[in-house]
Amino acid sequence: MQQNNSKLTGGCQCGAVRFRADRLGRPSICHCRMCQKAFGSFFGPLVTGYGVAWTRGAPKYFRSSNKVRRGFCGDCGTPLTYEVEGEESIELAIGAFDDPTVAAPVIQVNPTDKLPFFHALTGLPVRTEYSPAWMTPSAGLRSYQHPDHDTAVWPPEKGFPS
Amino acid sequence: MSEIFTGGCQCGAVRYRVEGPVRHASICNCRMCQKALGNLMAPFASFEARVDWTRGKPTYFQSSTRVRRGFCNRCGTPLSYQWGEHNLSLTIGSFDRPDQLLPTVEFARDNRHPVFAHYNDLVEEPLGSTDEERDLLAILKSYQHPDQDTESWPVEGRGR
Repeated sequence: MQQNNSKLTGGCQCGAVRFRADRLGRPSICHCRMCQKAFGSFFGPLVTGYGVAWTRGAPKYFRSSNKVRRGFCGDCGTPLTYEVEGEESIELAIGAFDDPTVAAPVIQVNPTDKLPFFHALTGLPVRTEYSPAWMTPSAGLRSYQHPDHDTAVWPPEKGFPS
Repeated sequence: MSEIFTGGCQCGAVRYRVEGPVRHASICNCRMCQKALGNLMAPFASFEARVDWTRGKPTYFQSSTRVRRGFCNRCGTPLSYQWGEHNLSLTIGSFDRPDQLLPTVEFARDNRHPVFAHYNDLVEEPLGSTDEERDLLAILKSYQHPDQDTESWPVEGRGR
């Protein structure tokens, strides 16, 4: 398990919410229908975070059941946490880490809701040919995503480079 | 009559409806999709038909010069991706029946999370495998919107 806590930082896409964890527990992917819908995806990838501190902003919460709340960024929507009432640790969304490879899932939970095509995802054809229509607009593309590290000021004081 | 697809966010404040057929369904491993969805990759489906927002509207974050991403500002569910004025793509997990939307292409394989190749080797743990989990399940009441359209939501008298 990766325990180099200098790397255990992350946050939302826009950078309004940033976190740091002291150490991580078991990483998993959860197939349950609630994780699917909360993440808008096929599963929820979560890792237990110990000593989690919010270093910029704070999540907004949705109480998804009587015992669980889920944190997200109110400005850009990135799903950030899954928190069971009364537990000290919280579950963090793996994709929100600056380096999501710090948590490689070792288990899949709630397989009952697993989507029927999950097993085939690794075998999809890869798109490598891009049409000119796709490449032309890409040429001027500039990301407004927060960088994958902490920043002193965000968004950039002088604005995004044009 | 073409197939109708419906979906929405976890809390039910934003709901959508779109007529088939599906134009394109994909997964993308790029770093922007990963971070936007807090996930290892992002699954999207697009349609020739226009998407109708049947309850509420998404909030948008402009993630780059060309792309805006929609989400529910009450529960956070990532809902859409739109490049300029091109057809809107919807997150497959937000559909009421995500099993009806089979991705046929993968983008940004270079940025696959390392676990991607090992998905099918991961040990499975059924729900309720531990005492703690069984205790929680016994009293758990979901506040997630049902996987179908509803006349009114949330249900009256239900705490949030």
